[in-house]
Amino acid sequence: MFVSPPRQRLVRERTSRDRDPAALAALAAVAERTRPIAASQTRLLPVAPPLAGLLPDGALRRGTTVTVGAPGDDGALSVALALVAAASATGSWCALIGHPGLGAVAAADLGIDLTRLAILPRPGVAWAEATAAVLEGVDLVVLCPPFAPRHAMARRLVARARERRAVLVVVPGRAGWPEPPDLQLHMTDVTWEGVDAGKGHLRHRRMTVTSTGRRSAARPIRRHLWLPAPDGTLAEAPDGPGGPLDHPSPYDPAA
Amino acid sequence: MDRLLVVRCPDLFDEDEGGGVLRTFAELIDAVEVYCPWVTPVRPGICSLPARGPARYFGGEDALVELVQRAADSITPAEVGVADGLFAAVLAARRGRIVPAGATGEFLAPLPVSILGDSDLAGLLDRLGIRTLGEFAALPDAHILGRFGADGAHAHRVAGGRSGELADLRQPRIARLLDGDSDDDLPVVAEPGFWGGVSDADARAARCLSAAQDLLGPDGVVIARLQGGRGPTQRARFVTWTTAARPKGLGPDTARRAGPGPGAPWPGQIPPPAPAVVHPESMRADLADAQGEPVRVTGRGLLVTSPDRLSIEGGPWEPLSGWAGPWPADERWWSRAHRRGARLQAVTARAAHLLVVERGCWSVEATYG
Repeated sequence: MFVSPPRQRLVRERTSRDRDPAALAALAAVAERTRPIAASQTRLLPVAPPLAGLLPDGALRRGTTVTVGAPGDDGALSVALALVAAASATGSWCALIGHPGLGAVAAADLGIDLTRLAILPRPGVAWAEATAAVLEGVDLVVLCPPFAPRHAMARRLVARARERRAVLVVVPGRAGWPEPPDLQLHMTDVTWEGVDAGKGHLRHRRMTVTSTGRRSAARPIRRHLWLPAPDGTLAEAPDGPGGPLDHPSPYDPAA
Repeated sequence: MDRLLVVRCPDLFDEDEGGGVLRTFAELIDAVEVYCPWVTPVRPGICSLPARGPARYFGGEDALVELVQRAADSITPAEVGVADGLFAAVLAARRGRIVPAGATGEFLAPLPVSILGDSDLAGLLDRLGIRTLGEFAALPDAHILGRFGADGAHAHRVAGGRSGELADLRQPRIARLLDGDSDDDLPVVAEPGFWGGVSDADARAARCLSAAQDLLGPDGVVIARLQGGRGPTQRARFVTWTTAARPKGLGPDTARRAGPGPGAPWPGQIPPPAPAVVHPESMRADLADAQGEPVRVTGRGLLVTSPDRLSIEGGPWEPLSGWAGPWPADERWWSRAHRRGARLQAVTARAAHLLVVERGCWSVEATYG
């Protein structure tokens, strides 16, 4: 069958104009449902809703680098794991490089699929090479550099992430990270709640996370989070500079 | 690699209609279990148990093999062997041999490549003139991944005795069957694969993780698996990543004797949330009361004085803003790995730690990082 080009265009125009909005909305819903999970063509990787507000796109953009925490910050690993959890739950592969002491139960509670989390606990001196190799085929890489990286090395890994459309989440720890990232997350006002002198048990940790970035993300955004919440997941914490005033006392009433 | 003893009963390889074979196999496992409680059914007619502990207890691997052989023979004709890793141990059982630790490579070398059970790979190697596992293992690592893919690279490590688990060696279904569950209970595997079993993302990840393993060694890339346990250290274990570790519904770790699953209640378990950092080597800690005296715990798991400050690895003293516990931990009282102590949550200005005390010595087991 042969259809001349002008006529073909005419047919297309008519069909798109004639579709009623309800049908289009229904079609969009179907398209969303049948969208392939973990298709490498998608530009964004999902994050848990409490973190979405901190990211300029409401999700992790492929090919970018995010640093979590300043040197010596506690809780940085939790934030990094929370950041990759939603993508992991939808079928993306994740890797954790350079952290020999992952609490696997905590990671699973955050929603990470442990069967798709490759752990390179002690890459030693080969850490940069190993990270470069893993970036070839893993969507999200959480890197805790065991040694202070040289500029050129960091730049190469950032370039590799961009080229392979992976997300590189760096937890600089004491080693530091010399390359300015696309997005920086910082934790402040970190407090554990639930224990007193000998009473109760640790229930949840309240923290304020601030994100700053380049270009479109230059304006700092702040969010109050519970990480972990009492069930080990991530939740939005109630606002209030004075701290935990808006929620019921976490202390054991019986104690 | 674990040192494994394998019991192999050729009569029980094929299941029958009435389930008689399966019942005999269950009897066999019960008989062997006298010598070690961690017997794992591998597939119908084959079960394995860790050899190191029982061998030490019963006076050597020869003695253990003899005991297990006698116990198994009372049920059904059986072959018993010991080697490093499951693959070599099954072959050792077939020949009734005890392969010395570290000699797996030499033991496997003369065997034909077809024994790896991958007919495509065997055919390819045959055309290349490679007939034995020894010749295959002698190929340089660097070329294997490119030529034979991730599965081939793994088979190469198995052939050289550097890895003990071959894909498809285990039939996790058997563990379920022995527990009396029906086949219908098996979860349906939901993999986001479009064209058959393995998704494109899984295949890409497998390639790059194999490359990382070539760089760091097989144990350089691991996967975490959850299991039942009281403390955070016991609740997870790390296994070497292989392409066989892909999610396939039931993993080998759901074996019958693996104990209660991660969801089962454990008395004395620390309440959630779980710590994000579990220190691979626990760090020494000093816990002092307001007078600066070390905090002690009584034999019944009660604190003598209230903790006031904490010092980790001889570092500066940090005042505690809160603490909770202790949770008594009396673990494995039946074995030599018996541990008796207590756990305590301690919060400083910088972090919250899970401390454990044993024989009066405090250490940091985990950090709620």
